Amino acid sequence: MPVVKNRSILTGIQVKEAMRSNVNRLSFDTSIAICIRHMIKFKSNAVLVDDAAGAPCGVVSKTDIMGVYYAGLPIETVLQDVISGPSLYCYPDDNLEDVIDIMQKNGIHRLYVLGADSSEVTGILAYTDIVGLLYRFCRTCSKSLRKTKKADDELPQLKVKEVMTAEITLCNKDDSIRQVVEVLSAQRLGAVLIVDGQREPVGVISKADIVIAYIHGVSIDELAENIMNRPVTSCSSDELLSKAIRQMLLNDIQRIFVHGDDTKHIKGVLSLSDAARFRSGTCRACVASRILEDF
Amino acid sequence: MFASEVMDTNFHCLQPENTIAEAVRLFRAASDKEGKKIFGMMVTDNHDRLVGMLSMYDILLFIQPKHVKIWGEMEDLDPGPLFEALLGRVKNIHVEDIMTTDLVTIKLDTHIFVIIEIMIKKHIRRLPIVEKGRVVGVVYRSDVFYYLLRKFKE
Repeated sequence: MPVVKNRSILTGIQVKEAMRSNVNRLSFDTSIAICIRHMIKFKSNAVLVDDAAGAPCGVVSKTDIMGVYYAGLPIETVLQDVISGPSLYCYPDDNLEDVIDIMQKNGIHRLYVLGADSSEVTGILAYTDIVGLLYRFCRTCSKSLRKTKKADDELPQLKVKEVMTAEITLCNKDDSIRQVVEVLSAQRLGAVLIVDGQREPVGVISKADIVIAYIHGVSIDELAENIMNRPVTSCSSDELLSKAIRQMLLNDIQRIFVHGDDTKHIKGVLSLSDAARFRSGTCRACVASRILEDF
Repeated sequence: MFASEVMDTNFHCLQPENTIAEAVRLFRAASDKEGKKIFGMMVTDNHDRLVGMLSMYDILLFIQPKHVKIWGEMEDLDPGPLFEALLGRVKNIHVEDIMTTDLVTIKLDTHIFVIIEIMIKKHIRRLPIVEKGRVVGVVYRSDVFYYLLRKFKE
């Protein structure tokens, strides 16, 4: 009996094809202030922390730093006191599909990639890297829109509304940063939509904004509207998934809010990790074409 | 053969609270004023104390998108509007957040060979001269080089 295995565009692709080899690392005795600046400068969501011998001993993510802010610890606290960890690892020749499963099961967004020696970290793989790889496949695919120059509706392309998360979490612009942090961590979100009294979207607060507020010495009891990002980046629910992904990748944003016919009416959110979990390119032709190429 | 002989006292400073967009504008204004390209600026606080340096490299690093590989394949992309959008979006990021704080400074009476030594060993292009906690000038690698060239001719 042959074992039936679902195939997707990621089948047979290894971690090394999507990973980035530039890993952000800091020593265990670095202060949180320096760590935050490092994250801002190198646009990383997490830093690998090394012990005195230079071997990795844990990870500090933006979520961890948000917790430190919430707990009211001074910004001079050293990383050693806040690391979570030892993190989970994968290897360059692991299958991307298996790695996505590990990330999903453990509720994490990144895995460090180990080399031959167990203390040698050779790379990092995040959801966004996987989406980036998919997007590149799509652009070079012989059936892609750019090559065939067919009208949009002639190709079976996925739309944003088929992949987006329809539930969105809101905070009010008059809420305190403390309340926003509570919502972000309780629901394990990367960002919340901020609305005004009429429930109209006025801004977004992401974990990055919270971390920046911390380093700028903003009190956690300040109002959300003082640190929120404006305007809200959104796309139509009828937009092609590929265009939405392109917009996120190029603008370095992790998520895009989705509006209906009325741009003021936000009805969902599409994150890069949703797109990665969908395990397909942006076109329905993808799966079939890959199977054909394989045989 | 001391720092005071090769230093440039015409320098421009940024404030730690300047946003990155403001810093980009100040870079442009400073190079227009000096009639030469400015590659880095010092960051001083309210008391003229040196707190960091922001170089062209820091800004380039900051505006570089995460997924460079994808950008490389986008021949149909105009970077102008994207750059604008990026600077607009990061208005809550200050100069102090991305500046280099690990600084090497010299004094007015630092010998020029010591300066060359520092520049070579640490790959530094410009060294601030600090006296009594205040910045009084800056020594550029090119100025050191042309100063020596002139010395040899004599």
